[in-house]
Amino acid sequence: MAQPAAAMVSARLAPKLEETELIRAVQQGDQSAFEALVRSYDQSVLGLAMNLLRSPEDARDAYQEAFLRVYKNIHLFRFDCSFYTWLYRIVTNVCLDHLRKRKIRREEPASVETGDGAIDRTYSVEEDRAGGDPERSLWNRQLSSRIGVVLDQLTPRERMVFELRHYQGMRLRTIGEILETTEEAAKNCLFRATQKMRAGLGDFV
Amino acid sequence: MTCDSAIELSDLYLYGELASHQEEELEQHLHGCDTCQKALEGRRALHRGFDTLRLDPPPELLVECRRNLLRHRSMDRRPSPWIGFATMWQSFGMTARPLGALALVALGFFASRLIPREPGLANQALVMSDPVATTIRSVQPDAAGHVQIAVDETRRRLITGSLTDGAIERLMLTAARDESNDGLRVESMEILKNRATSADVRDALLIALRNDPNPGVRFKALEGLKGMAGQPEVRKTLSYVLQNDQNPGVRIQAIDLLTQHQDSGLVGMLQQVVSKESNHYVRQRCEKVLQELNASVGTF
Repeated sequence: MAQPAAAMVSARLAPKLEETELIRAVQQGDQSAFEALVRSYDQSVLGLAMNLLRSPEDARDAYQEAFLRVYKNIHLFRFDCSFYTWLYRIVTNVCLDHLRKRKIRREEPASVETGDGAIDRTYSVEEDRAGGDPERSLWNRQLSSRIGVVLDQLTPRERMVFELRHYQGMRLRTIGEILETTEEAAKNCLFRATQKMRAGLGDFV
Repeated sequence: MTCDSAIELSDLYLYGELASHQEEELEQHLHGCDTCQKALEGRRALHRGFDTLRLDPPPELLVECRRNLLRHRSMDRRPSPWIGFATMWQSFGMTARPLGALALVALGFFASRLIPREPGLANQALVMSDPVATTIRSVQPDAAGHVQIAVDETRRRLITGSLTDGAIERLMLTAARDESNDGLRVESMEILKNRATSADVRDALLIALRNDPNPGVRFKALEGLKGMAGQPEVRKTLSYVLQNDQNPGVRIQAIDLLTQHQDSGLVGMLQQVVSKESNHYVRQRCEKVLQELNASVGTF
């Protein structure tokens, strides 16, 4: 099971004292400390945004919005939770806003209709570049189109919990802290998400 | 435990999120129930299927995000010119305001022709020429019997500035990524390779070294990274290049840079390369380095 982001982040958190000093430096206006802080986390933040929003453009916007919010609000960070939890609270809120707006506007969906059926936007970009073997491409296109449909059926919160647990490898307790809910509620959310995913993709994967 | 509840709990079981007593009960049930074992295997396969849906953002996107963030932050730090303007406008008398408005219209007219579109380039020498290329994007009839034609015009601008200027550096990085123009990428890398102390440039050099299809660009990137061969991220990319690059010349340069510094993984990696390398000269070079390091040539 993929758990690289959580492992990466916890490894980065090892020198806790160093990070605390870095945060204090940012709070005192040190620009290079902010850049160092961003670089410690931004790869996993972008990965989360990319997987949730499934669009490079939206992921880029979410990245920027999240880190600008961090920059503007870091003076409010009081070390009463880990910086990691605080940062992910901001990032998940930004991504949830994007997902909710998309649900309301039905704009920029994860999949687009083409003559060959629905195609996942992000995948189609990669596919153009790859130019791989046709059989694999067809399978990937079919899978991508199904992903678009299934992901659309999840609520933004279900998408978030599924993403954080399955791809980011976070424990449900941590997810609860980030989403400011209970571990039990996160568990129920994951349960519903996997049920829907299974119903949508079960005969495919 | 019934089969229904066992199946219901199987996803959380696979995620390791069951309480220990639930986990124990489920495992006991699975031990004596082939149907539920098969169902669990099905779930496991589905989870592996989920893994294939993972999207990894391309490295270029990360570089672009970092650049944009830096730009927006620096814009945030600038004091707003409108605050000063509003104060000045209030001090104008009622009769002077129409004249002021007229002057602003004229200023806007000329400024639109002179101000560069890229923020931060206002102090650079700038030359604008006539359109050099025109493409018709779309045509559409309207109710009045006219036609709306959307035209994309490409204008050429000459921008001069120092590489230490963030805006110039950003343009250079954009040029270094232009997939359609190999020559432009080589020339951009030639210029950027002396600026590897900038984190964005270093990232661009690493990405180019790993991914650029043109060996000329990869050579330039290697040159730029010469002074940084001791950094872990650079060494990781150099190791990747040594084992995967199609060009033997690039692989040899990677060996040279890697052997500038020694680390615990170097000998093992060179031994691996010796066992797999098809190019005689590259193999010989690795063997020579291994001998110099008093290490055996083969792996056992």
